[in-house]
Amino acid sequence: MQIKTTIEDHRIAKLAALAIALHMLEAVIPSPLPGVKPGIANIVTLYVLFKHGFASAAWVSILRVFASSLLLGQFLSPTFMLSLAGALLSLGVLWLSMHLPKKHFGTVSLSILAAFAHIAGQLIIVRLWLIPHASVAYLVPIFAMAALFFGLINGIIAHKLLYNEISITDTSPRSSHH
Amino acid sequence: MHKGFKPLLIVAACCLAIWGLIAYNQPRLYHSQSYVFGTLVDISIYGEPEARARALTNHILQDFQHLHQQLHAWKPAADNQASELSTLNAAFSSGKPAVNISPRMAEILFDASKLSQQSNGLFNPSIGHLIGAWGFQRDEFSAVNIDKETISNLVKANPRMSDIVIENNTAYSNNPNVKLDLGGYAKGYALDQAADYLRKQQVSNALINIGGNIIALGQHGDTAWRVGIQHPRKPTAIATLELADGWAIGTSGDYQRYFMLDGKRYCHIIDPRTGYPVQHTQAVTVLIPPQAAHSSQAGVLSDVASKPIFIEPWAQKSTIAATLGIQHYMAIDQASHAFVTPEMQTKLTWLDADFKKHLHVQATALH
Amino acid sequence: MRAGDWCVLTAGIVLVAVLFQQLWSHDGATRVQIRLGDTIYGTYSLNQQRDIHVEGAIGSATVSIMNGRARFSKSPCHNQYCVHQGWLSRSGQAALCLPNQLSLELIGETKNYDSLNY
Repeated sequence: MQIKTTIEDHRIAKLAALAIALHMLEAVIPSPLPGVKPGIANIVTLYVLFKHGFASAAWVSILRVFASSLLLGQFLSPTFMLSLAGALLSLGVLWLSMHLPKKHFGTVSLSILAAFAHIAGQLIIVRLWLIPHASVAYLVPIFAMAALFFGLINGIIAHKLLYNEISITDTSPRSSHH
Repeated sequence: MHKGFKPLLIVAACCLAIWGLIAYNQPRLYHSQSYVFGTLVDISIYGEPEARARALTNHILQDFQHLHQQLHAWKPAADNQASELSTLNAAFSSGKPAVNISPRMAEILFDASKLSQQSNGLFNPSIGHLIGAWGFQRDEFSAVNIDKETISNLVKANPRMSDIVIENNTAYSNNPNVKLDLGGYAKGYALDQAADYLRKQQVSNALINIGGNIIALGQHGDTAWRVGIQHPRKPTAIATLELADGWAIGTSGDYQRYFMLDGKRYCHIIDPRTGYPVQHTQAVTVLIPPQAAHSSQAGVLSDVASKPIFIEPWAQKSTIAATLGIQHYMAIDQASHAFVTPEMQTKLTWLDADFKKHLHVQATALH
Repeated sequence: MRAGDWCVLTAGIVLVAVLFQQLWSHDGATRVQIRLGDTIYGTYSLNQQRDIHVEGAIGSATVSIMNGRARFSKSPCHNQYCVHQGWLSRSGQAALCLPNQLSLELIGETKNYDSLNY
């Protein structure tokens, strides 16, 4: 039996692989605070969102969460749950913000919004399940600050990738930019 | 990248604007401290934007300044202008016929006379000469050695509030030995004035402390205002209690104004009957509920009512308290043992274990 | 960076600042003080989850700390008024068990009283 794959599938696979690689790289680098990571894999998600649409971006994001956790031996662990919650919520927000006028809201907006949604998702899991304690409140401003900072940077990088036309998968002529 | 500067400035401006808007609307406690009336005035206002709270406080402090100038017993107001009280005292002592007084002064003298009578003369604001003789009519006082004869003469002169006749906003005294000193009344009066002003300004939550006398309006957010009661000999609080809306608290203590002479303490609260400072009591604290409109107000009572109880010997304290209608009070003797009424005890949260250990709860004789 | 991006960035900055101000200001209760008789039995951080067993005048009571709050969860007294006080969550709040001579009070960064009478 042969599974018929499309060019679309190949593209998603390559991008997902890239995202996973970035995620793994980040997992190796220690961070000063648990949970505070630059989230560079999200750059790929953003790139895919703008270039290939929401469906592809969602695939890349979810695949990244599952595959990374399997590879890191964290499947179904709390870390996996946190990752999944963050990814789902940020995808939701991305889907909503896709409807914002592209003339005014670019990658930076979406990246920041998605970043906040991501930490919100994680903090909800933490508060309800992992550390059900009021003192989680003390972590919120720090996570928010990290989300803002890295959201901004990732958004800028994604923008550069998209509009300086550094193609990361296609050899086909570049799509028109907005 | 100087093109990037302008948007950056706009971002910064927007942030500040939004931030300011949020900050402006936060429920906040405004707290100010200043020196008026020759004492520390502490005003807390809750739930008003800071700018408004500051304006209200400044208004109150200015009123206090005016009141201080009007009622100061010994200092001329400014620029060689005697206070209204000093002018009046000068007229009394020279036996002048009726002088004009302000409606406020008339109101104060009426109220003070009434309270003096109610307290059987123990609250006596006309014994200024006696207080001055003991040296307490100065900003700083040191040991004064007075001979018995001077004291006895001053007592015999028997100045009383009933010697003062007030008619049509004029006043004269039948006894040239009358010298008004409203030290035991003015702070309480100022508290009531400030509370009235704030209520008229639609401020529902505030706490005003004038030299230790406190009146409360509303609450401190979700909880009642809480006041501490000072240890007579240490700078700590021996107990706290909640001050509900309109309630006032005042303490007369031998630690507020006093001097030591030959190992003995002479405080500023003088028994008009003997002419000597009280030495058997360290402090009396009274807690006053809001009063009916036509009677003396809570602030005034918190200032006035503690003195007669302080002055009376221990066997008579509960009687004079009952006469004055004071249900909530505490008296502390020279051994630092506290005697409280059951009503007062229910209000107190004791912080000091020693005091708690030597506490006596005794019923007042009422009605 | 487009106009909307700047807006989002600004809103983000404000949000972070507000979160810091709201969640990092210490005007809440941070500890619970248990008094037995007229002495202080102990002062405990509210940042933990534990049960404290105290031997009072008539028996053993249990004080529970959880989620930044404290309460009497068990008491040997007849009327159980103290237990019915429920969770104390704010600085200055107190629960008292008279028969057992035990009291709980939440204290925080703020002081015991708003003003001193003297």
